[in-house]
Amino acid sequence: MHSGLYLRRSIFNVLALCLSGVATLIGLIFLGWILYETLVQGIGAMSTTLFTRITAGAEDGGLLNAMVGSLILNFIGIAIAAPIGVLAGAWLAEFANKTRLGEAIRFLNDILLSAPSIVLGLFVYTFVVLPTTALSHKNISFTGLAGGVALALIALPVIVRTTDEMLRLVPSTLREAALSLGVPQWKLTCQILIRAARSGIITGVLLALARISGETAPLLFTAFGNNFLTVNPLKPMSSLPQIIYEYAKQPNDTLNAMAWAGAFVITMFVLLLSLLARLILSRSKVSHD
Amino acid sequence: MHTGSETAVGLDKSLPSAPLAPTKLEVRDLNFYYNGYHALKNISMDIPEKKVTAIIGPSGCGKSTLLRIFNRIYAIYPKLEAKGSIVLDGENILGPGYSMNRLRSKVGMVFQKPVPFPMTIFENVAYGIRHHEKLSKADMESRVEQALRSAALWDEVKDKLKQSALGLSGGQQQRLCIARGIALKPEVLLLDEPTSALDPIATSRIEQLVEELKGEYTIVIVTHNMQQAARVSDLTAFMYMGELIEFDRTEKIFTKPGKKQTEDYITGRFG
Amino acid sequence: MPAVEGAAPSVDGERIQVEEARARRDSAHDRRFGWLLKLCALLVLAALLGATLVTLTGGWSAFSTYGWHFLVDATWHPDSQHPDDPSTNVFGALVPIVGTLVTSLIALVLAVPFSFGIALFLSEVAPRWLRTPVTSAIELLAGIPSIIFGMWGLLIFAPFFQAHAKPWIDSHLGVDPDTNQPSWIAAHIPLVGKLLEDTRPFGGSVLTAGIVLAIMILPFISSVMREVFQTVPTRLKESAYALGSSTWEVAWDIMLPYTRAAVIGGIFLGLGRALGETMAVTLIIGNSMDLSPSLLDQGATISSTIANQFSEAAGLQKSSLMALAFLLFVVTFIVLLIARLMLRRLAAKEGN
Repeated sequence: MHSGLYLRRSIFNVLALCLSGVATLIGLIFLGWILYETLVQGIGAMSTTLFTRITAGAEDGGLLNAMVGSLILNFIGIAIAAPIGVLAGAWLAEFANKTRLGEAIRFLNDILLSAPSIVLGLFVYTFVVLPTTALSHKNISFTGLAGGVALALIALPVIVRTTDEMLRLVPSTLREAALSLGVPQWKLTCQILIRAARSGIITGVLLALARISGETAPLLFTAFGNNFLTVNPLKPMSSLPQIIYEYAKQPNDTLNAMAWAGAFVITMFVLLLSLLARLILSRSKVSHD
Repeated sequence: MHTGSETAVGLDKSLPSAPLAPTKLEVRDLNFYYNGYHALKNISMDIPEKKVTAIIGPSGCGKSTLLRIFNRIYAIYPKLEAKGSIVLDGENILGPGYSMNRLRSKVGMVFQKPVPFPMTIFENVAYGIRHHEKLSKADMESRVEQALRSAALWDEVKDKLKQSALGLSGGQQQRLCIARGIALKPEVLLLDEPTSALDPIATSRIEQLVEELKGEYTIVIVTHNMQQAARVSDLTAFMYMGELIEFDRTEKIFTKPGKKQTEDYITGRFG
Repeated sequence: MPAVEGAAPSVDGERIQVEEARARRDSAHDRRFGWLLKLCALLVLAALLGATLVTLTGGWSAFSTYGWHFLVDATWHPDSQHPDDPSTNVFGALVPIVGTLVTSLIALVLAVPFSFGIALFLSEVAPRWLRTPVTSAIELLAGIPSIIFGMWGLLIFAPFFQAHAKPWIDSHLGVDPDTNQPSWIAAHIPLVGKLLEDTRPFGGSVLTAGIVLAIMILPFISSVMREVFQTVPTRLKESAYALGSSTWEVAWDIMLPYTRAAVIGGIFLGLGRALGETMAVTLIIGNSMDLSPSLLDQGATISSTIANQFSEAAGLQKSSLMALAFLLFVVTFIVLLIARLMLRRLAAKEGN
């Protein structure tokens, strides 16, 4: 009697479920396409001069200054963001859990997590680049330090969030056990809770590092770029993402190839970091159970 | 003795065999509230020195809550309030001037589940001591050894003191937590269902340990296991719905309970 | 006995003094430690407030010079000789504002159905052994830096689009650029011809930027959807199946309404990302400040304009870019605020 309806419904169902599979497949195709191009073009463009020459040589140069610059900028970013982020996360989890200010900051931190990084770059430009310019009487003092601060602002919410979440996973009996020995709150937090949540917090720092190591926009007007090798954080500094940006725009196959090589290096670094982060997290789960 | 003792539910002193000992913790008119909920009602009891006092009762009766007031660990959470007095060595530990540090060096606690700190075995024991006393390396080592020996753990861990405590078995972890507690040389040791997460063999080791420790410490143990209370304790308190129903020598509670509710609970569980 | 009583308090008294001194020290340390931590947490607040204030004050002279024309005028004309002269510098931000909205809209229109499909596939359809690897792969997409998407978009996808997709679009949806012959759709549906007018031989366009943005936000939206679909109580799904519902009907009639708030939250999260995304768009969109109705034409977004012009800008141009940044920040803040509020409603429901 209703067989027509049943048939229509089940055909529609099969069709919709097939489409969901197709959607997934298309998503995976794009992922595969991007990774494939990065690998093939990047490996094709690999050469030792990339690691020994600087960008001042353009087509005959390499990416040495950009790689060194990226390492320094990432280091500054994490060195600033990790301690501040861990302490701020500890405050959210241990001191301000369920207080109004704590909830508000936890909420705003989630927003900062996806805020446009270019605007954070402008913030650092105004708060770091302009004041140091006024101090140094130069034209405009773009510095690696300013770039590092901009990256720190991007890494900060990632670290705050993971620290907060990981500390809240620590069983409250551990707090009680320490407090029942008369241990003060600061010792409990620094020496026991952060240590207990250590692998989770390290994961957060690694993810933050992965996040900032591909970040370009906020560096454009903070670290600015530098065609020569420098390790001085008070000078303008080059970075891999920025060189990729500049070289990819050029209608020049050699420079495009170098950009692919840079992209390959960054992608490998980011993938390795997230792999490492997952590994640490899964291993710590095993040992706790 | 204190004048308030008439109001306390206490030992039947008419019995000549009552294990009379000086009172260590004198609880008077203790009321406890969380978020306005009246969790403990007018508890008064005298806990004798260097005896094992067991607190039993159905779950939710407030036995753990009572224990957690003895070292004021409840105070780390907001909206909890205790009224009344608990006198330890002549001073009210609920009074405003009583220092937490002092209370916690005098009253140690072991929790339901073993909670080793994420450090080495040695550090787990030394950590608490270091906070209260400055000891030389040698003194610290002997102190840690002494604590581990008292907790009957020394022989099992003496070769791996530098290894992480997280690698120990559950029963070993719990004995480590006891060692950590007694390393501070407390006078009172609170045990909150210390064997509920352990297997029977580990449980009997802990019970044996309680037996050994009672010569030195005043022990209060909360347990949901009545056989355990009967085995290890000198006195037993029965609580029901936030009230202390009966508190007497263990032998009497389990053979001739004075109150109907106590009898129902005990026979109900055994029958 | 009095002698003993006299001796005991003095020993005990000493111990009390030591303990109390330590208690005072500890509580002072704890207070200072608490303040230090609070200060660190307040930096999060300071970053958001600071970015808002800096762009507002930086953009103030643009706002006050051009007033509301700044939002509706499509002229973007800097005078680098006299950067502070309002008579020669004219800045209206219509093009980047429209570009931002259009690229984000394209991204959402493409990414939302695909994300729903992926989430449905991963939570209901796929065999169990396939779920974890595919989920990780999709999440991998979220970890790829945007500059890589941009370079892939510029060097691979845009030429591909130019060579393979555009001829098809021209002949089936738009207007053939050589013969000026409109397709059936362009001839019968108004505006489509204008919207898909093919005027430039570039693959990089508002449309391709939107497509790349869609790929970028896909993992964010789909992972939120997948996670919230898993919070749908099994008994709810089972009772629907018991009434004879098909998998699709359970998903569309039960799971989607049940998780509606969080799904909208996930979509807004993706929108927030799309609005603020800079590098990928900057590389692909072509950064043209001319207003064009065609999606196949080049354009600009707020963030691409800032990335492209800020380091060489001065005076009113710099202020206009700051003003744009302010607009972008406020709009993304509101979008992300809505996203988080929607997501929290589900978290609260789960808590109960």
